[in-house]
Amino acid sequence: MRCPIETHEGAGLLLDFCTRKLDPDTAAVLDRHMESCAACREFVHGQQAVWEALDGWEAAPVSPDFNRRFFRRVESEERRGRWTGLRPILLRPALAVAAALVVLIAGTLLDQPPPRTETAIEVEQVVTTLEDMDMLRVFTL
Amino acid sequence: MRTIAQPSALHGVQTDMTAAAVLDYDAELMLRVKEGDESSFALLLGKHRAPVIHFLYRMVRNHAIAEELAQEVFLRVYRSRATYEPTAKFTTWLFRITTHMALNWLRDGKNEKMQARPDDETGEARAHEAPDKRPSVEQRLLYQVKLDEVRRAVSSLPGKQRAAVLMHKYEEMEYSQIAKVLGCSESAVKSLLFRAYETLRARLAHMV
Repeated sequence: MRCPIETHEGAGLLLDFCTRKLDPDTAAVLDRHMESCAACREFVHGQQAVWEALDGWEAAPVSPDFNRRFFRRVESEERRGRWTGLRPILLRPALAVAAALVVLIAGTLLDQPPPRTETAIEVEQVVTTLEDMDMLRVFTL
Repeated sequence: MRTIAQPSALHGVQTDMTAAAVLDYDAELMLRVKEGDESSFALLLGKHRAPVIHFLYRMVRNHAIAEELAQEVFLRVYRSRATYEPTAKFTTWLFRITTHMALNWLRDGKNEKMQARPDDETGEARAHEAPDKRPSVEQRLLYQVKLDEVRRAVSSLPGKQRAAVLMHKYEEMEYSQIAKVLGCSESAVKSLLFRAYETLRARLAHMV
């Protein structure tokens, strides 16, 4: 048997041997190989030590309110989603009303005579004054 | 709070299960979620939240962050219910999302502050105390030192190696499944694991 430690594939076999995932026949072959292979014995011994060390690392339990927090997030997201979904439907008539109002206001403004500017008023006043002066001159003559 | 229907209500769900029948039960549940059965999602959450949180915790070494990332993972699963297709084992898909979240978190450098200030994990040591035989202060300290060494050794691994080791050791996943989660070949996974365990053996072999 070729020494499994020489390739990554073979090392995979040794890892499986440590985790007892190998079928009994392959495990027996490896067992026999290790009797004469110090490198594989060392590998397996070291790997078992790592395995035991990792076994000691337990994760903390899940918070009791994990599900509640999750479903609250789902609900708030769905509420937001409903609003996002409704927004185009609600906005469409609002936009139509706004457009109609703009047209109405513009029409009303265009229909009115243009307001007289300050210059026009001044010219008119000068003309009136000159006419008055002409009239006075006629009366005095 | 959301009302969760009893599992018996699942039988009333009309859905095409032919695709999922050849797959796992979790994929079947996810297809029911796709059909609008939220109680099935509660079942999936109850079954998978602990492995997902524990995996994330060992990746980021902070319980609060692990739970926050796990919330995001399940939210993504829930969001994609409408487009879910059972093309792979459910746990493969779930851990692909989970690993992606963890690796992104590590890559974005969000861990810099937390690495300097990981969780106070003395609670773990207390969890090991059997009520009938309480360890001495010395034993507790020794255990704490060992545990800290394990955590540091695992944290020293590059992200992908760390994820591969955690899935192999704690989730007992096959090489093929780890390969699918990480998006690489089986031989690449074996190579990742070989290098990772080599590092861990060098750092931890003296402990036993």
